[in-house]
Amino acid sequence: MNDTIVILMILVPALPLAAAILAAVLGPRILRSRAHWPVVAAFAASFLCSLSLLVHAWRQPPGYERVESLWVWADIEGAYAQRHSPGGADQADSAGVMRHFTLDVTLRIDTLTGVMLATVTFISLLVAIYSVGYMRGDPGYWRFFAYIGLFVFSMTMLVSVSNFLLLFVFWEAVGVCSYLLIGFWYRKPAAAAAGTKAFLVNRIGDFGFMLGVFLIWTTYGTLNYHDTAAGWPSVSARAGTERPVFVDLGRAAAGEPGEVVGVLSVKRESVGGWRGGGVGLAICLLLLLGACGKSAQFPLHVWLPDAMEGPTPVSALIHAATMVTAGVYMIARCAPLFVASPDGLLVVAGVGTFTALLAASIALTQFDLKRVLAYSTISQLGYMFLGLGTGTLAGMSAGMFHLFTHAFFKALLFLGAGSVMHAMGNVIDMRRFGGLRRRLPHTYRTFLVGCLALAGIIPLSGFWSKDSVLFSVHARAHEMQVHWARRQAAEERVSSGTAGSLPAAGHAARGEVEAGSGMSDGELARAARLYAWMYYGALLTAFLTAFYAFRALFLTFFGDERLPGEAADHGHESPGVMVWPLAILAFFAACVGLAFDQSWLNGTHPFAEVLADTPSLSGAVARTETLGSFHFSVAVISTICAVAGALLASCFYLGDRRAAAWFQAVMDFRVLKSADDGARIARVGQQPWIQAIDRAARRVGLPWLTRLAGDLLIFTMLVITAPLLLIRFVSPYRLSFGKFFLDETYSLLVVRPLRGLAWLLDAVDRWLVDGLVDLVGQLPSRLGALLRTMQTGLVPFYAMAMILGGLIMLLTMNQQFSEQVMLYLHRLLGGMTP
Amino acid sequence: MNDVNEAALLHNYLLVGMVLFVIGMTGFLIRRNLIVMFLCVEMMLQGISLSLAAWGRYHNDWGGQMMILFIIAVASCEAAIALTLVLVVSRRTGNLDVAVWQDLREEGELPFVDRELPEETTERPQSPVLPPAGRQPDVDEDELMHRSHV
Amino acid sequence: MNGAPASWCFVLMGQQQAAAELLADSGRSGGANLATSPLLGAAVTGIAALILLLPRATRASRRVGAVMGTLSLLLLFGGVMVPLAGMSSQIVFWALAAVTIVSAVAAVATPSPIYTAIWFALSLLGTAGLLLYQGAQFLSVATVAVYAGAIVVTFLFVLMLAQPEGHEVYDRVSWGWYTKPMSAVVAALLVALLSFSLPAMPGPAARMGDRADQVLHPDHMARFGDTLFGKHLLSIEIAGALLLVALVGAIAIMIQAGHLRAERAEGQSDE
Repeated sequence: MNDTIVILMILVPALPLAAAILAAVLGPRILRSRAHWPVVAAFAASFLCSLSLLVHAWRQPPGYERVESLWVWADIEGAYAQRHSPGGADQADSAGVMRHFTLDVTLRIDTLTGVMLATVTFISLLVAIYSVGYMRGDPGYWRFFAYIGLFVFSMTMLVSVSNFLLLFVFWEAVGVCSYLLIGFWYRKPAAAAAGTKAFLVNRIGDFGFMLGVFLIWTTYGTLNYHDTAAGWPSVSARAGTERPVFVDLGRAAAGEPGEVVGVLSVKRESVGGWRGGGVGLAICLLLLLGACGKSAQFPLHVWLPDAMEGPTPVSALIHAATMVTAGVYMIARCAPLFVASPDGLLVVAGVGTFTALLAASIALTQFDLKRVLAYSTISQLGYMFLGLGTGTLAGMSAGMFHLFTHAFFKALLFLGAGSVMHAMGNVIDMRRFGGLRRRLPHTYRTFLVGCLALAGIIPLSGFWSKDSVLFSVHARAHEMQVHWARRQAAEERVSSGTAGSLPAAGHAARGEVEAGSGMSDGELARAARLYAWMYYGALLTAFLTAFYAFRALFLTFFGDERLPGEAADHGHESPGVMVWPLAILAFFAACVGLAFDQSWLNGTHPFAEVLADTPSLSGAVARTETLGSFHFSVAVISTICAVAGALLASCFYLGDRRAAAWFQAVMDFRVLKSADDGARIARVGQQPWIQAIDRAARRVGLPWLTRLAGDLLIFTMLVITAPLLLIRFVSPYRLSFGKFFLDETYSLLVVRPLRGLAWLLDAVDRWLVDGLVDLVGQLPSRLGALLRTMQTGLVPFYAMAMILGGLIMLLTMNQQFSEQVMLYLHRLLGGMTP
Repeated sequence: MNDVNEAALLHNYLLVGMVLFVIGMTGFLIRRNLIVMFLCVEMMLQGISLSLAAWGRYHNDWGGQMMILFIIAVASCEAAIALTLVLVVSRRTGNLDVAVWQDLREEGELPFVDRELPEETTERPQSPVLPPAGRQPDVDEDELMHRSHV
Repeated sequence: MNGAPASWCFVLMGQQQAAAELLADSGRSGGANLATSPLLGAAVTGIAALILLLPRATRASRRVGAVMGTLSLLLLFGGVMVPLAGMSSQIVFWALAAVTIVSAVAAVATPSPIYTAIWFALSLLGTAGLLLYQGAQFLSVATVAVYAGAIVVTFLFVLMLAQPEGHEVYDRVSWGWYTKPMSAVVAALLVALLSFSLPAMPGPAARMGDRADQVLHPDHMARFGDTLFGKHLLSIEIAGALLLVALVGAIAIMIQAGHLRAERAEGQSDE
């Protein structure tokens, strides 16, 4: 039984890797258009293995984790001397002792990993099947599948490893695969540039992540999630004996001596817990920076829309369902670290909310369907961050639940967009086609399901997951307010001298001790206020989400049927191999919410309960909030928001779309455009009543009065309209359409200075460094030129050279003479004693 | 005493020999006429001969004088060959200047060229010889061709 | 032997001791020795003399140079050289040395090569005298006969063949601007070097025996010939062969040169 688990754990990443290698090696010549066989088969097998692993982990008691070490990567005795005991009493022996440094390549399985693996492999399988149809005929067919296989290997390893350093390794690996796949059509300059941009922006996040890992190392003394035996001797010394496998079955006793407690293990609670304060906040913020880079949150979100240059299956797989969720996974995994720092949680939630709003407002005006979906992804990821940022079990599991459902419906939407692109001849600008409902019926239906899920319309999955997030935020804010009020009341009672029974519990949460612990009154009040604001922001985002989702749907599939020129003769429905994954995804997008969130039914939340068994979430986090409470009021409000958005979109975009045009004009401040129109102003002067006044004035003999009035008016108008004209540049429409000019800002602040610096360094390299090297290279020739002047060809010159040489030799070898000369020189130069 | 005298003798002869040697060396380095250069070489050999003789006497060894004899012999051979070569060489260029021969010079280097030398400022005084009145003076063609004063 | 030379020698040896003391003790003012010695004066004046005497581009007065040269010689003889046993020997030596050196300087200084040859011949006579003074009678005669008689005459022949006009332009100048000072300085340095090394030379080898038995034997020629054809037989034979080879070589070169000239003349006349 144990061995089976280990084998399954190894197979899940190994099969895609093997398939990728096979596709790469055999693809170009032998497999050619059959290069998808190994990859699809591997993904299917991998999915089955992940399912069995998930089921296995599910069946275990809470807090279960199984860690298996594959091999020892580094094993150095006496590698470092510890200055002080990190994070707890487990290393209480004397400082300065040389410690053993080991690094194992470890795989783990617990419920969080299981869930991620199942999701990743399932979506990858469907996308791979879809790509068979989408990428048919592409000259890089085998390359595509090799990269996809490599990506799935990296992603599965990322969620399977049990060590921060290895996490970083595969963090980078997925970044590399993303770069390769975005720039798949590398001959297109836009694609190559987008790939580079993605990688570089990711790199910035990775820098923060790396610093966070360093800080974790110095704070906790280990990089493993799990517990290990301290000073485990090198493999050679213990040859033949088996390494112990730590199977943690819940909250065990305090750490045994000689054991190194893992950073995220349950036992850490009993050996001092996690660091809060400045260091804890720093760790959280740095890890958050990494997550922002990978999951495209503000300010590192700029790469995701450009990543749409890659093939659509890539967008569906990587930039919707799997890679961008790595950040969310990481934060969920490091939940104890974040919970130890309430300010860090606030920042996470704030970043999430802000990004959600920002991306949703940009998506409102975009015309590129894939870009709309890209911004939608950023926005939904913001939701997940918001959920994680509450710090409660409900919030974190809500965030993960949203990740889970979002994978399905976003992949569905992207693949639908790909289907549209496939039919329209690679045109994805919604202005160039329309009314494709009848032409692409299957695509339309599945896209509709996806839109409904995205908007969060009951009973589709998006509703359940989005509402889980909203519930958790609302509950958190409410709970904090209650706690603060209770504290105020307690203080008042203390100050007024009456001690008494505890006041009636308003909203009795199980973890009331934890809710506001460690925070001062002011902080508590502020946090409560902020969470409340975030809740409203999330609601507004829900409204916007519904609006742009349905806008995209209506623009694409409704209205008069128009086809772009490139559609030519393949403006028809996609082949079966592309439609079946759409259908499967639509089915799951519709049902999976109902299946996994039954809080409305019987108060249980199977998904959250499964997740709560993870070691990360089963400790301090678990004591925070009741699961599965269904807040009817929140559900109603969110549904109203979503439906309102959908209705508004249908008002604007169904029918003749005049209202949309009018609204756009309003948002664009187009009325201001006519403010400086001289002809318009002149026409004002031709109104009959103004003419009448003018005639009257002239008759009276004051013609100049009207003229003066007119000039004054014109002057005033010009003065007033001048700033208004400027405002036009930052009209809401323009801001939204221009992505809030963030790309341009980065270009100005970062890219240009770097280019300048690069130019400067290049100049230094070319002129200074190369110059020095050239100088050194020229030394022999210059020296030679100098010496060449000695070859005069004149015989007496040669004779003189000979004699001079001989003279110098004689002088230096003649001891007496040289000593006399030296003494004389010493005397001459002021009597310096030799 | 005798020893002191011998030492003094040696000292002086070495000095004289050295002075002769350096004068010959100076002449060899300065002068451009091939024959003069060779004469200076012979002068250097003479200086060496003096030193050799002094050492031979000082150490009561015949070897010094033997060496001088060989020097004379070799100098003679050398003179013969050298002068032949000088003749051949001078026939090529028409003069005995050693600065003409700069063919061993490195590529690209400028050759040594004499700058314009002023004529000798003072003429050798020549008392004019007046022929008797009415007679043309005798002009000696050979005299014009080959100046007698050197 | 009177005491003056002895005191001189003691002074000489005293100088040596002082020099040794100087070298051992670094704090003393040892530079005064060199600064005030006549050697420095001789060197400086000698350099000046050489530079002024050597041929110049324009015909200039040689008087200053001559004076400096005389001064240098006086300093050299008086200050640097060591006095000999008797006054008569001293004067003879000085006269011979003066002749040699002055004619050598004149040989180098005069522009005309023919004068050079003649001065050189005079210098050779001086050298012969010095050799005779040393007791190398055969060699002094050989010098006069072979050197002055044969070699210098041959030089004169060649001069007449190649440059009958007397002195040419290039006889007046040197081949660079730095040659004269540099050569003069080098010359002075060499003389100074020798003068420094001389006090420290080793004494005569006692095992060589009495000079009267060897180099100063009354039967000079017999002894000379004895050693020459006894100990150095091989060398003399080789020297003889060398002379033959040189003779043949010289003739061969001339013949070859003559052929080449004929060919070139033909070639030119053909064009």
